[in-house]
Amino acid sequence: MDDEKYTDINGKPITLDYQRHSSFCTEFIVSSPKVSIGTVMVATSFVWIFAYAVFCLTDNTAVLSSAIIITLIGMMLYIHFVKIDHESLLVIGSLGIQLSSSYASGREHTSFIEMSKIKDIVINEAIYMHQIIYYLCILLRDPADASAVSSVVPLFPSSKPRLNCLVKVYKTCQEIISKC
Amino acid sequence: MNSPNSPSPLPERAIYGFVLFLASQFGFFLFCLWAYVPAEWLALLGLTYWPQKYWVLAVPVYLLVALVVCVVVLFGVNMMATAPLDSVDNITDPYARRQPRHEGPEGGIPRLEDVPISEVNRKFFL
Repeated sequence: MDDEKYTDINGKPITLDYQRHSSFCTEFIVSSPKVSIGTVMVATSFVWIFAYAVFCLTDNTAVLSSAIIITLIGMMLYIHFVKIDHESLLVIGSLGIQLSSSYASGREHTSFIEMSKIKDIVINEAIYMHQIIYYLCILLRDPADASAVSSVVPLFPSSKPRLNCLVKVYKTCQEIISKC
Repeated sequence: MNSPNSPSPLPERAIYGFVLFLASQFGFFLFCLWAYVPAEWLALLGLTYWPQKYWVLAVPVYLLVALVVCVVVLFGVNMMATAPLDSVDNITDPYARRQPRHEGPEGGIPRLEDVPISEVNRKFFL
């Protein structure tokens, strides 16, 4: 909606789309940048030049055809299993929260968490590889002990937006969750 | 008074350190002797049962490569030991769950204790 520049933890630009369907239902969609044609061409040419060099050394044409097949299959697996196009969060008051990740090939993975299982949505800081990042997560209630946290579900795990985006999502979610 | 297990310097520790230093310098001197003196001269002295001279080069190389590998492996072990983003250990732990909530004295500074993450978030972001 508004054009504030959001980036992910690595500095790559992302977009946040925010739809308020009603007073107790909002949807957030975080979109990652698409795979650029330049990166695809660079990666393909690297693999093929390397395969051609190996062919010049070994004179085995199977190297060339296998390089082509590996490139094709690798790209198919990448866009189907790895590259996420957008992730969405749908919060419906007193019903639950639906998380959905949609991959570049069109595949979607959706999961729903009932409101009774949700203890809170918080922004937490944690060590991720070599840096400390803010991430938004859902705390799930422990069925045995009402005040304890049994597990944690991180939101937007692939796009990893920075704090300004997370605070926006946090404020709206807290409005809805604290009402019900 | 220092506790019995404190790591502070003591006269005994200084003596142990110096003895170790002398012993390691002497050990290095013996190693260099064995490395440089030709095997025939050592055999003249009656000392014939030595390891192959190959190890004079191999042992230092092995040790240095092992040192470099240890640096890389240490980094990897640290990354493996870091809790993943979906672990409850990033939120709380058994000690924080069991801590008693104390009532602070009137007008005084409250006791040091773990603040629940929900409260922290409300103070920071709402």
